[in-house]
Amino acid sequence: MSSEQKPMQYSDVNDDIVRSLVVTGRKYYITLAIAVTVMVTCFYFPWFYQLYYGIGAAGMNNPTVWGTYLASFIFWIGLSHSGTLLSCVLHITNSEWRKAMYRSAEAMTLFSLLVAVTMVMVHLGRPWFIHWAAPYPNQMELWPNFRSPLLFDVIAITTYLTGSLIFIYMGSIPDFAAVRDRTSGWRYHLYVLLSLGWRGTDTEWHRLGWAYTFLAVLIIPLAVSVHSIVSWDFAMSIVPGLHQTIFAPYFVVGAIYSGTAGIVTVMFVLRKYMNFEHFITKIHFDNLGKLLLLLSLLWSYINILELFTAWYGGTSTEYEQLRYKLTGYYSPLYWEMILFCAVAPLLLISKKIRTSFVPMLILSIVINIGMYTERFLIIATTLSRQYLPESWRLYTPSMVEISILVGSLAMFITLFLLFVKIFPSVSIYEVKETMPKPQKKNGDRSW
Amino acid sequence: MVSHAIGLFHDPESALHAAGQLKSAGFAQPEIMSPVPIHGVEEVLGPKKSVIKRFTFFGGIFGALGGFALAAGTAVMYLHPTGGRPIITIPPFLIISYEMTILCGILATVLGFLISARLPVFRERIYVPETAVDKFGVTVPCDSDEQFSDAERILEQAGAEEVRRLGDPS
Amino acid sequence: MSFMDRFVSGWRKHRQAATDDDFDYAWTMSIDLDRCTGCGACVTACQAENNIPLVGEKELAGGREMQWIRIERYWEGEYPNAKLSFIPMMCQHCDSAPCETVCPVSATYHNQDGLNTQIYNRCIGTRSCAVYCPYEVRFFNYYDHHWPAPLDQQLNPDVTVREKGVMEKCTFCIQRIRQAKDHAKDEGRRVADGEVQPACVQTCPSEALVFGDRKDPNSNVSKSINDPRAYHVLGELNTRPSVVYLKKVDADVV
Repeated sequence: MSSEQKPMQYSDVNDDIVRSLVVTGRKYYITLAIAVTVMVTCFYFPWFYQLYYGIGAAGMNNPTVWGTYLASFIFWIGLSHSGTLLSCVLHITNSEWRKAMYRSAEAMTLFSLLVAVTMVMVHLGRPWFIHWAAPYPNQMELWPNFRSPLLFDVIAITTYLTGSLIFIYMGSIPDFAAVRDRTSGWRYHLYVLLSLGWRGTDTEWHRLGWAYTFLAVLIIPLAVSVHSIVSWDFAMSIVPGLHQTIFAPYFVVGAIYSGTAGIVTVMFVLRKYMNFEHFITKIHFDNLGKLLLLLSLLWSYINILELFTAWYGGTSTEYEQLRYKLTGYYSPLYWEMILFCAVAPLLLISKKIRTSFVPMLILSIVINIGMYTERFLIIATTLSRQYLPESWRLYTPSMVEISILVGSLAMFITLFLLFVKIFPSVSIYEVKETMPKPQKKNGDRSW
Repeated sequence: MVSHAIGLFHDPESALHAAGQLKSAGFAQPEIMSPVPIHGVEEVLGPKKSVIKRFTFFGGIFGALGGFALAAGTAVMYLHPTGGRPIITIPPFLIISYEMTILCGILATVLGFLISARLPVFRERIYVPETAVDKFGVTVPCDSDEQFSDAERILEQAGAEEVRRLGDPS
Repeated sequence: MSFMDRFVSGWRKHRQAATDDDFDYAWTMSIDLDRCTGCGACVTACQAENNIPLVGEKELAGGREMQWIRIERYWEGEYPNAKLSFIPMMCQHCDSAPCETVCPVSATYHNQDGLNTQIYNRCIGTRSCAVYCPYEVRFFNYYDHHWPAPLDQQLNPDVTVREKGVMEKCTFCIQRIRQAKDHAKDEGRRVADGEVQPACVQTCPSEALVFGDRKDPNSNVSKSINDPRAYHVLGELNTRPSVVYLKKVDADVV
């Protein structure tokens, strides 16, 4: 690592970050062009087709009226879970290693939440009336149904989106100010607005420190509640296989799990393509690897519990559900999920794997594939096997659904690519805090 | 003419020391501008109190009550019996209340931050761009040339690499 | 009355769950499985009465049929001793309906007649009600449906045609109930027993289906649901359905 040969200076940090914003290579434009093209062709065209044609363009049928759209929704909400949550926890516990990575992790939160909200729009039968789920006074004098778990979702996700946006923005104000001084043109005007006239005075730092800590304290319970509420969309029903008390912690653990894996992927890409080798090091991957290992064990534990309670309870519907899950039509996917999310991460016991970048990248992607499968199975296996055997029916996603899934990934990448050119994707002032403080120079006059 | 003296320091300790010296020399409250938050400012320049916690607290209380009132009030305004449950169902409405506590708490914290840090400001103010990179600046307002030279002397004695005089643009 | 008194009395009132006593009527259907021959006349009558679209062969195979009432068939045993039993299944109009609580926009709720109603105009198509319903009797409009001529001439003018993206289900022929209630109101009386019948009840050749108000102890349906054979489908879920089945008495078992 070059930083071992020549210690980094405060000014190097500014140089590196400003460079990452203003110097744009051809590779970047090519990637952006591909991402936008894929997004438009795989996401927007099929979606517009579906809007025109009806939800029938997707593969859903009568007992299985929920499908991959909702699975993607949970997946993206889950992916959003580590960013801001992890950042808040590490901020409160004063973890030094958080500082180089948290900005991009929070951006991940924000963008996956945006994609998740879009997935809800795609999922709805009549998305043009989605505003009816918002509480606002209207001429019909009709308000939304606050007893509905789906409305808890609307409120919780709105809060989470607002909270994450504010949290990432608050942490960036000093960086916007630092970048403002080094840029020109439209960027300069943008950063003047975004930095709010920040000067870095002692009072401003003091206020920012307090406000930031309060936000972190508020966002931790919020993030936990958001995924609990997402799980209640399912667990509050009386469908066998969904109606389980373990679902809230199951979803929260699963969300943090897939989110942490997502952070590893993003870290790898940033490190490789934005030349952030100085900031994102083996230490980060080692720590994230340990966290992933812990989460995979927790996740496996909850899965075993779910199976055990269903088996021990032994009601006919639960038992049929269990049998169907382990040996039925969707069982290859189930075992794939176990392999990807419970068995493969055990490799993380080895420090050698945790500190090598490519195996970590592969593991993180494998885990997220497994986690997507989990979300798909939660919907597909349970809804296709409910109480009345007459309405047992299989569900397979249509091409439109698969295409929209791919397109949503491209949408996330597009948003992230735009982000790294507008937001300083590594926090300038917090990285400086981790570096040794400038000491008095030799030969300075003594006081 | 109202102007400011600003001394740029290489390290935070010297800057803090200079600020303390200026304060004890009878200057108005000096301000420290730094690229990173520095510790020990309160020992030198006196304790700081912020009102943000009050904003957060009362924002949260408002959200908790307001959230429940929103859910229960609107349910009573247009009666929709659902699922054999009462019109005012306490557990679900507490969830709304919980989320609204956090939402209002967050918004109030932001408001408290903006008010107590006196942001946003878009007019020109005393500022040296180096303080956003690697220099620690100490500024004091100077009413006269004598005051400025006093300030310059104190700053240089404390180890300033450079002392500048900036006119107050306002 | 002071504000506080009004607040307290309002609170008490709205903290109480609605019961049968609060409804004007409690419409109930009983289905005698001993009489049901599984002919499917009710399915056809329902289709005609409620403008239910015909989805066609391909969609039916894909599992997107529209049948507010359907005959569920269950086979027991192997060929020589095979036994077929069937049960007509439609919206059970549960008093503790899981589908009602989950709708975020209140598109489905319990009305003053104890009916589980679906407001098509309000529906945004989350389809969560269909997931929450254990009876699988809610049907989603995957497309805009069209009736080829001359079928479009026979649409029932009293019933709306539903748009794509909207959930629909059995209403106990609410248009007939409304008419009967209006008529009764004009004459200043309650709806008499037998005055209103949903299309399926009207059509049933073996009179297996009986419809009426269970608040009236002398109505046919009240007598019928007091039969010892009466049971609720999935009664263990405690959804308190308004459809009561009378068990088929099996000669082999007795």
